Amino acid sequence: MTLQKPAEAAGAGLVPLMRRVAERDRAAFAELYQKTSAKLYGIVLRTLRRRDIAEEVLQEIYVQIWERAHQYDATRASPLGWMAVIARNRALDEVRRKRPVSLDDAPEALQVAVDAGDPLDLLEQSEALQRLRRCLDRLEPDRRQIVLSAYYDGLSREELARRFSHPVGTIKSWLHRSLLQLRDCLGQ
Amino acid sequence: MTDRDEIDVVAGEFVLGTLDAGERASVAARRQREEALDAAIKAWEQRLGALGEAVPPVAPDAGLLSKIEARIDARAMAGPLTDQVVTLERRARRWRRIAVAASALAACLLIAIGVREVTRPQTAGIYTAVFQKDDASPAFLLTVNLDTRVLSIRAVAAQPQPGKSYQLWIVSDKLGGVPRSLGLIEAKHVPVSHPLPGYERAVVETATFGISLEPAGGSPTGRPTGPAFHAKLIAASR
Repeated sequence: MTLQKPAEAAGAGLVPLMRRVAERDRAAFAELYQKTSAKLYGIVLRTLRRRDIAEEVLQEIYVQIWERAHQYDATRASPLGWMAVIARNRALDEVRRKRPVSLDDAPEALQVAVDAGDPLDLLEQSEALQRLRRCLDRLEPDRRQIVLSAYYDGLSREELARRFSHPVGTIKSWLHRSLLQLRDCLGQ
Repeated sequence: MTDRDEIDVVAGEFVLGTLDAGERASVAARRQREEALDAAIKAWEQRLGALGEAVPPVAPDAGLLSKIEARIDARAMAGPLTDQVVTLERRARRWRRIAVAASALAACLLIAIGVREVTRPQTAGIYTAVFQKDDASPAFLLTVNLDTRVLSIRAVAAQPQPGKSYQLWIVSDKLGGVPRSLGLIEAKHVPVSHPLPGYERAVVETATFGISLEPAGGSPTGRPTGPAFHAKLIAASR
C-alpha cells in the first residue's frame, strides 16, 4: 500500500475545492470525495472495523461535509484535518453507541488491530507529526501505547483497562497525566 | 489540577475518544455553551490531528458516492430549511449575544433583527429568520421567499402550548411602525407555508419579524400581548 506524502496528506490543493463545495458545487464535491474518501474511510474503518457499518457512517460523514462546508476556515485547519475531525467524531459516536465487534466475542478482530502495529512506524512524517511523536516518546512506553490505542482503535477507558490489564481508575489517571504531559510538551 | 487542567483532560479525552457514550454526549452538549471547553477541544484536535496522517487509506465501495449524492438530494427535497439547521446551530452563540443585547429593548413586545443584517443568499429573494425560545435553542425557523411570495415556518424546539396560539408579526416604519399580524402559526416540525400578504418587496426586505404567544385564536387586541420570541434574521446560506 502506498502512503501519501505529507505534502499531499496536508492537502493544500483541497482548499479551493472546499471553497467550491461551500458554494454548492456538486462537481467539486465529487472531486473532493474522490481525493479524500480513502483517507477518511481508513480512519473510520480502523475505529469501527466492520465494513458495512463503516460505509454507512462514511455516507453520513460526507453528507455532513456537504452541509457544513461553508463553516470550513482555511486559517484554522487543512481541509483534510477538518474532515478528519468530522469523521472521527462520527465514528466515535457510533462505536460508543453500539459496539459493532465485542472484544470478548471476537478476539480475532482485536488481533487485526494489534497486528496492524504502530502506524507511526510506517511513514514519512510531517513536521507536526514528528513533533507530536517526540512528545509521545517522552511518555512511559505502556502509557504511550494506551494513548495510541485509544486514538487509533477508538477504545474506551473500560476497553483499554481490559486490553492492558489495569484497573479503569489507573487507566483514567494515566490518560489524564499523559494528556497534560503532551500538552505541556507541545507548548500549545 | 488547575481549572485549565480539568478542562484540558476532559477535552483531551473527548478528542482521544476514551469517553463512554453518556460522557461524550454530555461534553458535546457542554461545548455548545462553554466557550473554554469548546476552545480546549479545538486545541486538542490541532494537537492530535497529525496522528491521522498515519492511518493507511482504504478505498470504500465504488458505489458509495452515488449513495451519498442521493442522500443529499433527498435532504434538499425534504424542505428548504433542512440544510440551514446545521448553520443555525453553529451560530447560536452569536445570536445569544445579540439576544442579550436585544432583550434590553424587548420591554413587552418583539425583538427582531433588521433585514439589513442579512446578506442576500444565493437563491435570490429567499430570507431566513430564526426565532429563539430562549438563549439555548432555536424555536422557529422562518423563510420568506419574495419571488413566490410564500413564507414558510417550521418549529424546531417550540412545542404547542395548551390554550395558546403562536402569532407571527411584521413591523416596519413603512407600515406605520406598529406590529401587523401575519397570522397564527402552528408549532409543527415540518415547514408550513403561508401566503405572504401583498406588502411591497422593499417593505418586507427592511421589515422586522416577531412571534408572540397569545391566547388561543390570536391576540384579542390586534397587537402582541403575550411573551415574545427573539427573532433573528439571517442569511439563508453562508
